[in-house]
Amino acid sequence: MNSQTERVDTRPVNTRTGKPIGPISQPGYYPGFSTLAQQKFWDAKTREVVLDRVINVPEIRFFSQQEARLLEAICDRILPQDDRDESHKIPIVPQIDRRLYENSHDGYRYEDMPPDREAFQLGLRAVEEIAQHEYRLGFLEIGPREQDRILQSLHDGKPSAAHEIWKRMAVHRFWMLLVSDCADAYYSHPWAWDEIGFGGPAYPRAYMRLERGEAEPWESEEKRYQWKAPDSSVSGVFEPVAGQAEHLGSPGQGGTH
Amino acid sequence: MLGSIQRIETPMHRFSEAEEVDYVIVGVGAGGGVLLQRLARAGFRVIGFDAGPFWDTERDWVSDEKGAHNLYWNDMRITAGEHPLAFGANNSGKGVGGGTVHWASFTPRLHPSDFSIHSTDGVGVDWPIPYSDLKPYYELMELELPVSGPSYYPWGDPHGYPYGPHPMGGVGDALIRGCTNLGIGVSAGGPVAILSGSRANRPHCIYRGFCIQGCKVGAKASTLITHVPDAIENGAEIRPNCMVSRIHVGATRRVTGVSYFDSDGRACFQKAKAVIVAGYSIETPRLLLNSACPGFENGLANSSGCVGRYLMAQAGNVVLGRFEELVRMYKAPPAHALTEEFYETDPKRGFARGFAIQTVGPLPMSFAKQMMVAKGAWGWGLRSVMMDYNHWAAFGFLGEILPNADNRVQLAEEKDRLGIPIAKITFNLYDNDKKLIEFGKNKTMEVMWAAGAQEVVQEARYAHLVGAARMGDNPETSVVDQFGRTHDIANLFICDGSIMPTQGSANPGLTIMALAARAADYLIAEGEEIFKPRTRNIRKPPMRRDLSPPDTWGHGMPRI
Repeated sequence: MNSQTERVDTRPVNTRTGKPIGPISQPGYYPGFSTLAQQKFWDAKTREVVLDRVINVPEIRFFSQQEARLLEAICDRILPQDDRDESHKIPIVPQIDRRLYENSHDGYRYEDMPPDREAFQLGLRAVEEIAQHEYRLGFLEIGPREQDRILQSLHDGKPSAAHEIWKRMAVHRFWMLLVSDCADAYYSHPWAWDEIGFGGPAYPRAYMRLERGEAEPWESEEKRYQWKAPDSSVSGVFEPVAGQAEHLGSPGQGGTH
Repeated sequence: MLGSIQRIETPMHRFSEAEEVDYVIVGVGAGGGVLLQRLARAGFRVIGFDAGPFWDTERDWVSDEKGAHNLYWNDMRITAGEHPLAFGANNSGKGVGGGTVHWASFTPRLHPSDFSIHSTDGVGVDWPIPYSDLKPYYELMELELPVSGPSYYPWGDPHGYPYGPHPMGGVGDALIRGCTNLGIGVSAGGPVAILSGSRANRPHCIYRGFCIQGCKVGAKASTLITHVPDAIENGAEIRPNCMVSRIHVGATRRVTGVSYFDSDGRACFQKAKAVIVAGYSIETPRLLLNSACPGFENGLANSSGCVGRYLMAQAGNVVLGRFEELVRMYKAPPAHALTEEFYETDPKRGFARGFAIQTVGPLPMSFAKQMMVAKGAWGWGLRSVMMDYNHWAAFGFLGEILPNADNRVQLAEEKDRLGIPIAKITFNLYDNDKKLIEFGKNKTMEVMWAAGAQEVVQEARYAHLVGAARMGDNPETSVVDQFGRTHDIANLFICDGSIMPTQGSANPGLTIMALAARAADYLIAEGEEIFKPRTRNIRKPPMRRDLSPPDTWGHGMPRI
């Protein structure tokens, strides 16, 4: 990072107090709620799988060091965690790396996409090329707002450079692949469940309060606060993904009904 | 262990490869599972092959979204077309029980009108059988699973369900509120193949919400726990982790057995008097096409050119609404309330056929991706909308897409790890489909607004698969007859969703099972005739209620 970016506050802001939030151990509206605290009520296999995810962060085996550092910077903007303290940041890149190292995928590939491994490597190159084209600096050397603008251009389907790469894969498909992988890593982690108030595993104990959004005796009531994205970011607003017509479909969509 | 208390006590029978068994069934899912159980009970020597594991649900399954990844068919497929379909978790199971392991288990019947949409609406194609031929099998399967739901279900052919309706979760409450405010009828608490009360060695539902990650409880029906145990008790063999790569045809243009790779990757051959393919709408045509040989250059049973064609998915847009009050949609089964008020053709709408609106309950990973698409969320936007997860409810729109010859499964040049060419699927929407989706999506959003949502967004997607080896009376335009027997090869059958000529807007699982039970009655009634050359009868078999798994027949069914 250069000295310019160090001065930029990347934390979200409490709009009532005007003060930045964090870094804290648990953002969200359910302070103190812990799914892991309920683990003795889970079945053995579920406990094993979830604890392994928390404790054993996989080492980087697929990406080069350089690629991993670049992807880290990208993931820090796609799922920013500046409100979380260091010991409670949820690892994203190691999960993506493991998936690609194991060549695990969701059972299909779009005809206009290369295999996921190649897509990630091409995408990383493209992001770096755009940074060089826009700012004559590497992606790691520009500030968070500039980084966001580059990612926003992928979201909007209007990257300013790396056109050779975008001929080999559709921008919006790469964008959704990238965001999906980040979302999978973050929201499969029990700390993220605590943040959003999701009750987590409930076998064999069960849920009993099904209606009116009531909390189980061991869940927490919601305690909302108003907040906004930091000024250093452009990702706090909602705009449709570019090229998203009715026919787009989403990658990694799970079964629902 | 199957569920929390069920066990299979009998050791499984093992046939030798040299032994010519009566039937080989490829795929032990909704169709294959029911058929395997029936044939075994009737005394046939039968082997069910499945490409995936024989699950020990307590040891293998988890209450965890990410950890359920291995339940799905994750071998590579290429998806193409203007409206490419998603596979894997979206619609494809792997392992004994197949898709019934991860279905949400909505189990509505097709409507009587579904069997003749070409005659009445001039679209699609008619079935070779009317609803009345399938009705007794629907009733039978509703007892065998069994299905929970209201005692009076008003749509299609009105009927009641043998197990009582489930309590509502927050999403069901929203659907009832929205529908009621608009004067739309709604069914609460089913039809869904989840036990609302314990029965025999299966416990009742505990409302933990992880239905589509595999029901560890054993309350949600899957053929793994409803039919496979009885099949094994009656002498059937299941060969898990065995991928069938080719069906062999002998000199007399009859199939002689299957080549497969066993769990160690060894190439093996199993002799059989007849083969039944039950691999669902992608793997069934893939296997038939990959079995091409001299005399069957375009694949087996493909003289019509229809193998792989007329593939269908249902439109499955997810409509999401944010509410001021908390919903907590992760509780209760995703499937617990629906309306079929818009199922039938209404000429005023300007398109044929219709749709259903159902509850769904996406867990955090799925919901995050829905927000990525529906709202374009990323970065702090994604973090912020996810912090509101407990305020959102989700409805699934389920719309009928009509069969089209160009929506199809073909072989790609790429091969899988065993060297078998993989499937390439091409899918496009056509005029009627687009109009239906536009209308149905807007209606579903209207219901969400009427439920009191402050914000309503939606994600386009598709649900389920059927077709790609359709049944019909005419061998020039269909692959199999009404009992699943291929027109071209007398001892080759298909028994899964791929034989459905049209799909209605009902979830296909129950219909696939009813068709399998009917096909079983036919095979059993024909007996040894099936294995002789040059016999091909189309006569309706007597119904064999005595072939149900124990403890299923004779339970109460409400009078309506």
